[in-house]
Amino acid sequence: MKIAWRELTRKPSRFLTAGGALTLLTVLLLLLGGLLDGLYLSATAAIRAQSAQVVVYSADSRDSLLRSRIDPATSQQIAEVDGVQSVSGFGVALLGARVPGQSDLADVSVFGYEAANAQVPAPLPTGQAYADESLKASGIALGQTVWVGPARTPVTVEGWVSDTAYLFQGGLWANEETWRTVLNENRPDAALPPGTWQVALVDTHGNADPARVASAIESQVPEVSALTKEEAIAALPGVKEQASTFTSIIGTTFVVAGLVVALFFALLTLERIGLFGVLKAIGAGSRTLAAGLVLQAFAISAGAFVLGTVLTIGMAAVIPPEVPVQLLPRRALITAVGLIITALVGSAISFRRIIRIDPASAVGGS
Amino acid sequence: MSLATIEIRRAKLRFGLLTGAVALLVFLILFMQTLSGQLLKEFIGGIRNQSAEVLVYGAEARRSIEGSIVTPGDVDAVAKVPGVGQSAPLGENTFTVQVNGGESKDATIFGYELGGPGAPTTLTSGRLPNADGEAVAADGAGVSFKIGDTVQVRPGGYEIAVVGLARDASFNVQPTLFASFPTYEQAVRSQNPEATIILPTLVAVEPAPGISPTELAKRINEQVQGVEALDRDTAVASLPGVASITQSFNLILLLAFIVVVLVTGFFFLILTVQKIQSLILLRAIGASTGYLLRNLLLQVVLVTVGATAAAAILLVFAAANSSADFQVSADPVLILGTGTAVLVLAVMASIGSIRRVARLDPAAATQRMAGGGLA
Repeated sequence: MKIAWRELTRKPSRFLTAGGALTLLTVLLLLLGGLLDGLYLSATAAIRAQSAQVVVYSADSRDSLLRSRIDPATSQQIAEVDGVQSVSGFGVALLGARVPGQSDLADVSVFGYEAANAQVPAPLPTGQAYADESLKASGIALGQTVWVGPARTPVTVEGWVSDTAYLFQGGLWANEETWRTVLNENRPDAALPPGTWQVALVDTHGNADPARVASAIESQVPEVSALTKEEAIAALPGVKEQASTFTSIIGTTFVVAGLVVALFFALLTLERIGLFGVLKAIGAGSRTLAAGLVLQAFAISAGAFVLGTVLTIGMAAVIPPEVPVQLLPRRALITAVGLIITALVGSAISFRRIIRIDPASAVGGS
Repeated sequence: MSLATIEIRRAKLRFGLLTGAVALLVFLILFMQTLSGQLLKEFIGGIRNQSAEVLVYGAEARRSIEGSIVTPGDVDAVAKVPGVGQSAPLGENTFTVQVNGGESKDATIFGYELGGPGAPTTLTSGRLPNADGEAVAADGAGVSFKIGDTVQVRPGGYEIAVVGLARDASFNVQPTLFASFPTYEQAVRSQNPEATIILPTLVAVEPAPGISPTELAKRINEQVQGVEALDRDTAVASLPGVASITQSFNLILLLAFIVVVLVTGFFFLILTVQKIQSLILLRAIGASTGYLLRNLLLQVVLVTVGATAAAAILLVFAAANSSADFQVSADPVLILGTGTAVLVLAVMASIGSIRRVARLDPAAATQRMAGGGLA
């Protein structure tokens, strides 16, 4: 083990190729993961923020928030289903907003809601709203009135909330009247009468299983589609498809990392066959030599991960804002563990060759 | 059999691992290009392949078609701008539809003035609509239309008959219909009977002869308040998501290409260094530098071509198993182009090895102890 470590520290150039390739693969893995996380978090935050466990859509909406309609009679029927504790209305309008002093408009999701959720307190009085912190980048400030949509409906920002965007647009959270005014004035083709919301949010009784409550709602209330919160997140446009595509690409990149490590350790082992023969002749076992190889693979992959992470953080700072990369510690941890395991498995390809080295080869016996 | 192929046969593990790693990287490159190409095609086709050369958005839309509405006043004002040949309202929205009473799907419906700008330009069969309740359909998201299909808007049940088919004209990665503006209005009312007014999404404009779309868009922006006019190419490039898709995939592709170059280049360099004594001996017994270089390059070509072939097989397999809602296909031109690029880069990456082989001194063999020389 000591020899393996000394070789690493005294001849680092020998491991530069494998280390360089693994560093680039780390950057690739972190960027792919960051892109997946960025796309997911920016698209789903408003639904993730809900404390309700079930979301009910109209059946013909194909679980689209923008096309769903739940009228007061349907809400009443949902409230009467076993396991339902409370029902509240929820809706969204995706619009541009004029911000005083800014030449560019801000993309906003104006939410109408009735009850506080995990991220947003109870609704403010009419004409006021909580704004998502991401809208600060568009120049929105506390106490400021923004003019929403082509009808330029005024909405005053009275507080900040975080992680509440929807389909990449920062949220403005308003009460029913404000939201309905914004929707009906700016989207007359999507106008809704008083009491009708796009979806119903359902809080279940403490011990009720949300999936069962959703199923009960679908069977007892006609023309609705009830989803658990997790299903509602997955039903958002593109979320499932993005996750499966990026996961496949990330998986393939891990396999490439394993093959690169296997390849370079196979070359290194070949180069050191004579040395390994001498070590075996003076008593070193195959297990000791293999352990040295594992140590080197671990050190190279760990070093490549650290360097790759630093490079990725640097790159993320200069990547254009259109690319929604978000680097999360959880993703970094998964990448580190995955990379190290893959490197260890890759290095194991050379074990067979080490085991087959004959100590007699040290004195020309091969 | 040449020296190059004999060496590959005797070092199967090394060359197998290299070919495997390069094959997977080439597969990643091909897969991501296929994915982004198909995504963009299905995302923007409805705008790229319609007849209006200038599109006018509501100023608040920030170049997003979904976010745009224009008023009848805007439509009239645009029509009066000098240089406008034809202009008409254009509607766009996403609907839940059933084709021939089958499973519900999301679909985009464009409503344009029949005979005016906004019609699909890639008709492959049938005809353009000439009455309300008719449409040209573009495939997308796993829906394949046929002429005579009935598309029912849910809820409400308003029916549209498919009278023509267009290629590469889907929008937002959804099946897409091009119908008259009144048909579009009926579809919106079917979906939401509470709709108070149905305003156009955009104004579709055809420039008069002799005026370019860019110039006309500039004139409209100067003369009409509260709108933003874009020529068709700019409108396509400005659609939300297009820039982020293109830039994200380009970044990933660049990194994948760098890894291919690094792995291939250093593999052959290490291999050359390991074989240096044998190569010197070969030079000393008469093998020319050209012969050794040809063998080295043959190995680079064999590894790259083998890897590209394996990657192509993986791509065909991935395409065959792609989701019905987003089908991708293996494009031979893309495979050939990417394979050629990887080959050129691999040869360039081997310059280090080529230089070492070219600089070999046959006289150094006399210092080679194993060959009887003096160190």
